Amino acid sequence: MKRACLILAALLVSAGAAGVSLAAAVPDEIESRTLDNGLKIIVWPDHDIPNVVMYNFVRAGGRNEYPGITGLSHFFEHMMFNGTSQRGPGEFDRVMEAAGGSTNAYTSSDVTVYQDWFPRAALDVVFGLEADRLQNLAIDPDVVESERSVVYSERRTNIDNNNMRKLMEQVEATAFIAHPYQFPVIGWPSDIEAWTQEDLVTYFRTYYAPNNCTMIFTGDITPDEIFALADEYFAPIPAQDPPGRVRTVEPEQAGERRILIEADAQTPLLHLAFHAGSATDPETLPLSLLLNILVGGDSSRLHRLLVEEEQLAISVGGYQDEGFDPGLAYFYLTLPPGGDPAIVERRMLDELRRVADDGVTEAELVKARNILLADFWRGLATINGKASALGNFEVFNGSYEKLFELPDDIEEVTATQMQEVAAKIFRPGNMTVGVLRARAAAVQENEND
Amino acid sequence: MTERLLRLARSLLYIAAMTATVVAAADGVKLPDYERVELDNGTILLLNEKHDVPLISLRAVLRGGAVADERGKGGLASTFAALLEKGAGKRDAAAFAEAVESVGGRLSASAGLEGINISAGFMSRDADLMVELLADMLRHPALDADEMNKLRDRTINFIRAAKDSNLNALLPIYGGAFLFGDHPYGNPVIGSETTLANITHSDMLEYYTNHVGGERLIIAVSGDFDAGTMRKKLTRAFGGWRSAKSALPVIAAASRQTGRRVLLIDKPGATQTYFWLANVGVAADYSDRAALDIANTVFGGRFTSMLNTELRIKSGLTYGARSSLSRPSLPGSVAITSFTRTGATVEAIDMALGVLGQLRDSGIGEEMVSSAQNYILGQFPTRLETSSQLASQLAVLEAYGLGPAYIDDYGTAILAADVETIAAVIDDVYPSSQDLVFVLLGDASLIRDAVDKYGPVTEMKITEPHFHPAAPN
Repeated sequence: MKRACLILAALLVSAGAAGVSLAAAVPDEIESRTLDNGLKIIVWPDHDIPNVVMYNFVRAGGRNEYPGITGLSHFFEHMMFNGTSQRGPGEFDRVMEAAGGSTNAYTSSDVTVYQDWFPRAALDVVFGLEADRLQNLAIDPDVVESERSVVYSERRTNIDNNNMRKLMEQVEATAFIAHPYQFPVIGWPSDIEAWTQEDLVTYFRTYYAPNNCTMIFTGDITPDEIFALADEYFAPIPAQDPPGRVRTVEPEQAGERRILIEADAQTPLLHLAFHAGSATDPETLPLSLLLNILVGGDSSRLHRLLVEEEQLAISVGGYQDEGFDPGLAYFYLTLPPGGDPAIVERRMLDELRRVADDGVTEAELVKARNILLADFWRGLATINGKASALGNFEVFNGSYEKLFELPDDIEEVTATQMQEVAAKIFRPGNMTVGVLRARAAAVQENEND
Repeated sequence: MTERLLRLARSLLYIAAMTATVVAAADGVKLPDYERVELDNGTILLLNEKHDVPLISLRAVLRGGAVADERGKGGLASTFAALLEKGAGKRDAAAFAEAVESVGGRLSASAGLEGINISAGFMSRDADLMVELLADMLRHPALDADEMNKLRDRTINFIRAAKDSNLNALLPIYGGAFLFGDHPYGNPVIGSETTLANITHSDMLEYYTNHVGGERLIIAVSGDFDAGTMRKKLTRAFGGWRSAKSALPVIAAASRQTGRRVLLIDKPGATQTYFWLANVGVAADYSDRAALDIANTVFGGRFTSMLNTELRIKSGLTYGARSSLSRPSLPGSVAITSFTRTGATVEAIDMALGVLGQLRDSGIGEEMVSSAQNYILGQFPTRLETSSQLASQLAVLEAYGLGPAYIDDYGTAILAADVETIAAVIDDVYPSSQDLVFVLLGDASLIRDAVDKYGPVTEMKITEPHFHPAAPN
């Protein structure tokens, strides 16, 4: 490890001597404009390939839901492809694909994001399609019923027949007792089956307004042509009253929580979730670096210890939520058949306490910085990555310009900050533990009691 | 930025205008300039400078792969590939991983059916380290026995974990084993719980001697570097490397399935059935590739495809249905895949068979051909956008002996394909619904009786430690 650090230091020096700067500045060619109706549009021209990427960030996600309509944000992600008063069901994609474009979308606890990837020759077509569905969405009851089945199929695939996701859903629902981050983004089964036409109409009117959206365009375009098209297609869409803010703040956790799932399983699972910060929390970047040190690759602390040396787990991973409201720092481990989650949990907690007590080494800090810096550049290697990064920084961090401060921000994180974050977050009283184990094992254990 | 990623000739745009639809300039997508060097020992270097971000991407291919796995030792090439990451030169496994990750780099090796693929991505300032690690990995791998045992045992448990949480990923492995049987294309690349357990450390040493060497190696590098300097580095690193002791495996093409047979994999409690319907298809060098790509795009290759339209958009039976073509050096598989709630298993499979019949009976009309042409051309440039994509593409073209025309002439070929050519390709490639293997994964107690109408059923439990119901692969 020491030797690797010396090599790295030498390389950094030589890069500096050669005048190679790894810092980033806001590219001059990026321009943004906010229409009178509140729709903000950001454009980053990049003419490498004759293609364009559009991201539309709608500020509507699981956090905007409540019991009875859980999963509705995600359901709308589907319905937005299912016809308007001008176009029949499926026509959005038929027109898009015939023009050379493809589409997708995703929903999180915070936002619903629509994505179009298309040749620049299809610009007019795409603006027409996007404006139409923002303005004229049809919520046809027959289509709603059919799409309900599709979403249920998605749930069966991604959660009900997937032990890993099944446990994650239960851990999140346990870690939050008040804030709507407790709801699964895809929705509880009974809500998927039961949301009403009125729920849909109200939801669309509330959240699908230009003043609740941010659009990003990257690729073979100029800002002027995008702004001219926006004036033509989007400016006529009226603004709506802004949605009410999410008022509920998750109360501080006052003690450890546990959830156990017994299922058909060969490999037991152990998940640990700790309450952490939001995207703009000053602790979020130090925690991001710290998670890299703990679980970011084969040289990370927890992989080395638990997977390679002690072989208590076959994999360990982790992430943190970076949303509007404080989310979770989350660790997930898969154990070998017969593995004991209690033993692995103790070892995890030992290691997390060690970070809080002793901090990280300088070499680990440098490594974590390099990983994040390299990821930053990898993220900007495509027009898709550029659109995603710009949009996420604009929506979650308050301005797209902050994206380009990231390399400097990464360099400024200190080992002391990371230790303080560990001490604050990785406490048993702030933790939810999830275990999934085989039914047979549970029966055996009961017999032994 | 000092150069363009792609040379975009837009002169063919008028052809698109004649179709009265919107077409990208993608018909003019060409491979960028790159340098091809063959070293004395047969190693091929492919070098492409691209300076948009301070990164270098490398893709190396060691020709060979899982097709050479000994019978009963499926997963040999895969285990060997993974072991390459576990220490080399002066570094043990921990130090090797530290060297890669301490600079924010990525370096991984994995096996495919016909080669071991090594992918690397480093900041351009770390080019020397990248070459050093690659050279150590291939010329001085530690091949440590303890590391190998850990890897093998962990892979066995990964398969068990996938049986709990990733059934979609397992279905094509069961499918390939059932469709191809004893043919090497039936070898599960990852191996099975049974065959992995048979692999020993001496197998690793033999593999290294017999199947690894300079004449099998292709290295493609794209990114922010000087080609002359990189050529010298790689020549110094690999120029004198020995050859593999064994020749590349020579295999015959698999026969197409005639008639039907069914494999039912029982996962009690599953709330949906996953299905994979397939036959032997075509190889990488299929002569009417453009027409086939159009056919597959329309049949099951995009959101509004025939399969997805019927099974998802119109009926809500599934979250997704698609068709896929595996095209290795000899004919691979052509498959329909989807999933649906257990109670709708037969309805969904019958519907998929109906769509297949419709494709074969009615073909694809002009309007849909035009739509698919636009779609393929519109998306094509995004497949050659990054240095990582370019390095992979250059390596694959070299490995399959396809040449730059495979990319450079593709747009023109897409535009030239017509309804008749496409109809002929459909007839040639897509099987009759009477000639299919059916691989179904779900709760057998609830679907067993209903699915025997598709043909003779072989049943196995998901907990059985192999992928083929009989053979030890």
